[in-house]
Amino acid sequence: MNAREIIDAALAEGRRVLDVNESREVFTALGVPMNKSALAADRDEARKAASGIGYPVVMKIVSPDIVHKTEVGGVKVGLTDEPEVGRAHDAMMASVKAKRPDARVKGVVIEEMVKGTELIIGSSCDAQFGRMLMFGMGGVFVEIYKDVSFRLVPISAFDAHEMIEEIRGKAIFEGARGFPKADKDGLAKILVDISSGIGRYPDIEELDINPLMVTEKGLVAVDARVILGTLGKTCPS
Amino acid sequence: METLKGHPLYSFFWPDSVAVIGASSKPGKVGYAIMSNLVLGAEGQLGGGFRGRVYPVNPSGEDIFRQRSYRKVTEIPGSVDLAVVAIPAAGIEAVLDECAEKGIHSVVLISSGFSESGPKGRERERLVVEKARSRGMRILGPNCIGIINTNNRLNTTFAKKAPPRGPISFVSQSGAICTSVIEYSSEEYMGFANFVSIGNKSDLEDSDIIEYYANDPATKCISIYMEAAKDGRRFYETLKKKVVPRKPVVILKAGRTAAGAKAASSHTGALAGSDTAYSAAIHESGAIRAHTMLELFDFSRALAYQPPVMGDGIAIISNAGGPAVIAADVAYDLGLPLSILSAETIEAIDSVCPPTWSRGNPVDVIGDSDLDRYQRVLEILVGAPEVHGIITIVGPQAVMPLEDVAHAIVDVQRTTQKPFTASFVGVVSQPSEDYLDQHGIPEMEVPERPVRAMKALYHRGLYLRRRKFS
Repeated sequence: MNAREIIDAALAEGRRVLDVNESREVFTALGVPMNKSALAADRDEARKAASGIGYPVVMKIVSPDIVHKTEVGGVKVGLTDEPEVGRAHDAMMASVKAKRPDARVKGVVIEEMVKGTELIIGSSCDAQFGRMLMFGMGGVFVEIYKDVSFRLVPISAFDAHEMIEEIRGKAIFEGARGFPKADKDGLAKILVDISSGIGRYPDIEELDINPLMVTEKGLVAVDARVILGTLGKTCPS
Repeated sequence: METLKGHPLYSFFWPDSVAVIGASSKPGKVGYAIMSNLVLGAEGQLGGGFRGRVYPVNPSGEDIFRQRSYRKVTEIPGSVDLAVVAIPAAGIEAVLDECAEKGIHSVVLISSGFSESGPKGRERERLVVEKARSRGMRILGPNCIGIINTNNRLNTTFAKKAPPRGPISFVSQSGAICTSVIEYSSEEYMGFANFVSIGNKSDLEDSDIIEYYANDPATKCISIYMEAAKDGRRFYETLKKKVVPRKPVVILKAGRTAAGAKAASSHTGALAGSDTAYSAAIHESGAIRAHTMLELFDFSRALAYQPPVMGDGIAIISNAGGPAVIAADVAYDLGLPLSILSAETIEAIDSVCPPTWSRGNPVDVIGDSDLDRYQRVLEILVGAPEVHGIITIVGPQAVMPLEDVAHAIVDVQRTTQKPFTASFVGVVSQPSEDYLDQHGIPEMEVPERPVRAMKALYHRGLYLRRRKFS
């Protein structure tokens, strides 16, 4: 299914939140580079998928009912071989079943494990001004440090670079103290592409790419979320 | 004077004749104060009252300010361009019908008792706007103090004073902010072309007014006080496309801390508070945001009276060490780049200063500086290609009379397109301060304020330089 079909299917089911794999299609359509990943319906498929992607890998629960995966034991990182993937799968299924017995579980997703500096890109809709784009330092501290900048969509490449330069902690992704250095033009292009592409999907109300990793090899989105709603339709953009 | 004849809002600012509906001969009434301002002129309004005709309308038919009043607007013999309405809210719909019959298309509704007062008032406002639209009328207000145009002395307000004439045009959501600005401006020689108190924005909103100001030849800088835009996106588009490319705009948007009430399901949603969109909109439009009333005044004055900073580098000149250091710190905090003086500039200053001068920027010409030294260094800095704007700081001392320094600063500034701001530190209401203000050099009594004002000029310059290249 393409991004449009995925969104329509979710809406038909009355869902507001796209799961990580559904979101992945949307972000790929918007031109955001995503890390390698594969869906696995069961334990065996998970082991095969992991070997296909190459170790280390991350395993995440796939469920339309679970938004905060970590809280239900739905995320395992740093899995280094097939037996470990098998054991992690068993543990994850048990934990999710115990904590959210009602949740529909479709399986797991195996992802390439990416290390680097965590950035965030997001979009939300303001009732007065319409769609906005956010960029900043990502990861778990995003709501504590709030080191982010906002613009109204659409943005120009100049705006995108200005957003990047506004970040107080930018020295980190500029390569200070041995941190990997971000390709700022590439970063700006991702921001501009989202800004110009998101209008094609008016059902999107909010989105988060968190984290977008800065690695030695380039920029790659590791986790992303799309929230559907009606506000996007009224967004003048 | 050049005007915007033919503009849809022309009659609001340049009516030939005004009817005051609810005019009164009783001091203390709003309808009395409005008549007084229109007929006699408000305190501080040079040249007296409104240049056009004023028709009082009052059911009694008595004489008001020695003019015959009319029971109804339809009884006025001549044509009427603008109606100012100050009667209780309940009677306004009927009055609008009469105005329409009289062929009046522009109405200022001073009265309160509309959407600001609850659901009943909101419904009343809706009906009034519906009526106005159906009869081809535009409405300013209700719940406002109306309009001042200093160039024809139109003053529909009941404010005690009028602002001095000048290049700033102001629009305010709050009538009280309007009257406060008027009081302040007369002290500071901050001159205004137009004043609009926009009230409930039932029909005309900020976007309409600033679009007019953008085209108004008398306006050099637009100042806005707002709490909420009626149509945020329209406000943004108007600013960005029609207004800021023509004139600098300073916005004081109040209500920053009101937290976004909606439950957010993403990080982005949680971080996007109610003020975030306003910040982004103001920034992207190229307007300048003021965070305090003082900043609104200082930025507006600087942008109205001084040219923008057209390069990267400001010089601070002072005969006082401490205040200059404070100024340099504030410049650093604001990201306002200070000039790195060239060898030629330093050499030139060497030749007029004792060897103890700072030999850098801030340029401290030392407390024993006489007028000649201060002025010559000022001339060197104005001529230096690395200097694009000058903050002049003067500490009171016994060596040079402050008035003479003020004259020297004005004389040097006349020779250049580089902007000046000034602080005569600690000096309050001296002739020197007034002289600078009167000659368009914004002067403040503490050194951080002229630095912030210079930052506003730098911001405008950056905007203009970027437009040139894009």
